[in-house]
Amino acid sequence: MASHFSGVLQLTDLDDFITPSQECVKPVKVEKKQGKSVAKIQIEDDGSYVQVNQDGGKQKLEKAKITLNDCLACSGCITSAESVLITQQSHEELLKVLRNNKINEAEKKIVVVSVSPQSRASLAAHYNLSSSEAGRRLTAYLKNLGVHCVFDTSFSRTFSLLESQREFVERFHRKEQDSKAVPMLTSACPGWICYAEKTHGDYILPYISTTRSPQQVMGSLVKGYFAKQQGLSPQQIYHVCVMPCFDKKLEASRSDFYMSDAETREVDCVITSGEVQRMMEEENVSLSDVEPAALDTMFSSVCGDEFLSHAGSGSGGYLHHVFTHAAKQLFGEEVKELTYKTLRNKDFQEVRLEKDGNVLLCFALTYGFRNIQNLVQKLKRGKCPYHFVEVMACPSGCLNGGGQVKPSAGQNQKELLQKVEELYRADRPLVPESDPRVADLYHSWLNSLGEDGAKELLHTQYHTVEKMTNGLTMKW
Amino acid sequence: HQAALRLLGQGGGSSSSPATRLSAHPDSRCWFVAWSPNGTLLASCGGDKAIRIWGREGDSWVCKSVLEDGHQRTVRKVAWSPCGNYLASASFDATTCIWKKNNEGFESLTVLEGHENEVKCVAWAPSGNLLATCSRDKSVWIWEVDEEDEYECVTVLNSHTQDVKHVAWHPTRELLASASYDNNICIYKEEDDDWECRATLEGHTSTVWSLCFDATGQRMASCSDDRTVKIWKEYPSESGDTSWKCVCTLSGYHGRTVYDVSWCPLTGALATACGDDAVRVFREDVTSNPEEPVFSLVAQVTKAHNQDVNCASWNPKEAGILASCSDNGELAIWRFKED
Repeated sequence: MASHFSGVLQLTDLDDFITPSQECVKPVKVEKKQGKSVAKIQIEDDGSYVQVNQDGGKQKLEKAKITLNDCLACSGCITSAESVLITQQSHEELLKVLRNNKINEAEKKIVVVSVSPQSRASLAAHYNLSSSEAGRRLTAYLKNLGVHCVFDTSFSRTFSLLESQREFVERFHRKEQDSKAVPMLTSACPGWICYAEKTHGDYILPYISTTRSPQQVMGSLVKGYFAKQQGLSPQQIYHVCVMPCFDKKLEASRSDFYMSDAETREVDCVITSGEVQRMMEEENVSLSDVEPAALDTMFSSVCGDEFLSHAGSGSGGYLHHVFTHAAKQLFGEEVKELTYKTLRNKDFQEVRLEKDGNVLLCFALTYGFRNIQNLVQKLKRGKCPYHFVEVMACPSGCLNGGGQVKPSAGQNQKELLQKVEELYRADRPLVPESDPRVADLYHSWLNSLGEDGAKELLHTQYHTVEKMTNGLTMKW
Repeated sequence: HQAALRLLGQGGGSSSSPATRLSAHPDSRCWFVAWSPNGTLLASCGGDKAIRIWGREGDSWVCKSVLEDGHQRTVRKVAWSPCGNYLASASFDATTCIWKKNNEGFESLTVLEGHENEVKCVAWAPSGNLLATCSRDKSVWIWEVDEEDEYECVTVLNSHTQDVKHVAWHPTRELLASASYDNNICIYKEEDDDWECRATLEGHTSTVWSLCFDATGQRMASCSDDRTVKIWKEYPSESGDTSWKCVCTLSGYHGRTVYDVSWCPLTGALATACGDDAVRVFREDVTSNPEEPVFSLVAQVTKAHNQDVNCASWNPKEAGILASCSDNGELAIWRFKED
């Protein structure tokens, strides 16, 4: 069966990130009677196990069974990493939590769902709605299920964009002293990150931006600020993100995003756009029939009941924002419009800032494995002409992610992608620097945590993954 | 009709037969042999991590150069560029080395990295601008070379679900075929700005080890662990797409896995390399229906080598000259003669 994960991640081998352990630590409930007697275990001719008590009595022993659903986060053992991930983070898990909330008041969790704009556009395309309309109805649908808050990751993306802008300028300033300051490679795509950690390791990691992805910034916001504000412990919140790909499930399970004190993950569950559509289908619900609801504005970028977006690519607009900011900060140039030049293929594009015949800034977009390959090889050979590269694992970027809703009958993937792109772009863009609520959070909350505290919430780190030569992990 | 397959030089009048059975990779396996485009040189590669270039001196075949230190592990296959000035080698060390011919021999020009593990095959497109590689990592890569001998990845194709054993280019069109442990053959074409798998040929019931096109590219032969050789023919379909159908299956001739198949561009004869130590030659019956061709076994050497025969390759310029190589490290050059 074909893997759901991005082509880049598939080639990397998921098991290197979630390593099968040799021991299953899942406790299995066994019916045992109290007693001091010692029993022997005998294997019968038919292969069954039988307990022989001191008085000679025999009892057939039950086989211990572990189902995929029972498997704890001890990372796999008998199951493949991929199947563990997909089962542990699924819409069934979300429904389970919502069901438990209804039954068990004492152990109730506050369920927060953060929806990515790419997922919203994908669902909008499927149900023939505008992206904002899809967002309003999705909010209603989720709240009817018992979800408490529905946020939009364009909000947390504003933080990622601002941090990326600042990080780039800072790196550009120290490029003469630090050979690995530039080019700065984006960090929002987990398929790219895992590939870099596994295949290129220490060589390439220093080039990667430390800025967190919008998903993980939202994790910090929800389990940090929101939890505190609501008087909850982070564990009492079940945070779900709706994303355009499966690789985001792997990102959510990174140890760097596990809050060890609170013993909870910043993002508990990632479900894809396709999984949300399937969830609705299973209940015979169509988004086009749901009545819209008012939006939760605390962590959403909205104007009235319309969602706001960002300029630039459908994968977040990192190149666009870093370029315009750098042009202004470093060279005093106001860039009104970016001219993209397509190189080898449409997933490899270049943007330059030139003045008086000099190239001041040279930025690129490299999407898809083949282009990432060429970028890395150029870097290794010291032939990379770029200052900044927006790297995404999926050809055509996040709007074309592996978890997006599939084409309907009679529709081809290309047509669908075009529709999703149009719906995505219809949202009015907002300039990250002018979002007053983001600015407020910087001033009030983040500043109060100090530089290191803020850095922990908005930045992350990377780890070289060693190749495992343990016999148990070899796949023949 | 009468036909014979004999070691080159044997059956002649002279008392001493020239060396056409060579210990190419001593104490190791000889995995592959490839004739240069002008037919004068033969490259062999093996488990000793080396490549040897053989040429004719008088009636003998001698080793002209040894290409060492290019790889850390077995060299599995080698391929000559269409112009004959470059050699590409695919290795279990996960790299593909590009060698350039110079006055002394060959020098290592560049090393292509990217595959996760063992590279099983490398093949140059007839245009000379593109190179294809395939690997145990299940992927097929296409590379493009520019005027400055710089190689860049054009595409990475993940159509197979298992180890990809072999890739071969169509002789006249930019079309690529791959053979895999998943029992299938995939055909790839360029579409828009990327390459796509346009057809998956099912039929073999076990690993497809090798494949090759005939001189015109209208037909393709594949060989498998299922001990058969299949002949495929291309049929144009209404949508303009590529459709390949199996028009003939040669079964009952091979005792073990068929590791290689080679279609002679000059004579149309089909040679096979088999795990039963034999080399066989098949011919299409002239009377057979092109939609349902019939191939007959016209010559064989049952003990061509004393171990598995890994490769069989027809000389592209000299009709009837066939090279083979084996797990015992030997290579042999044969003459196929028909009356």
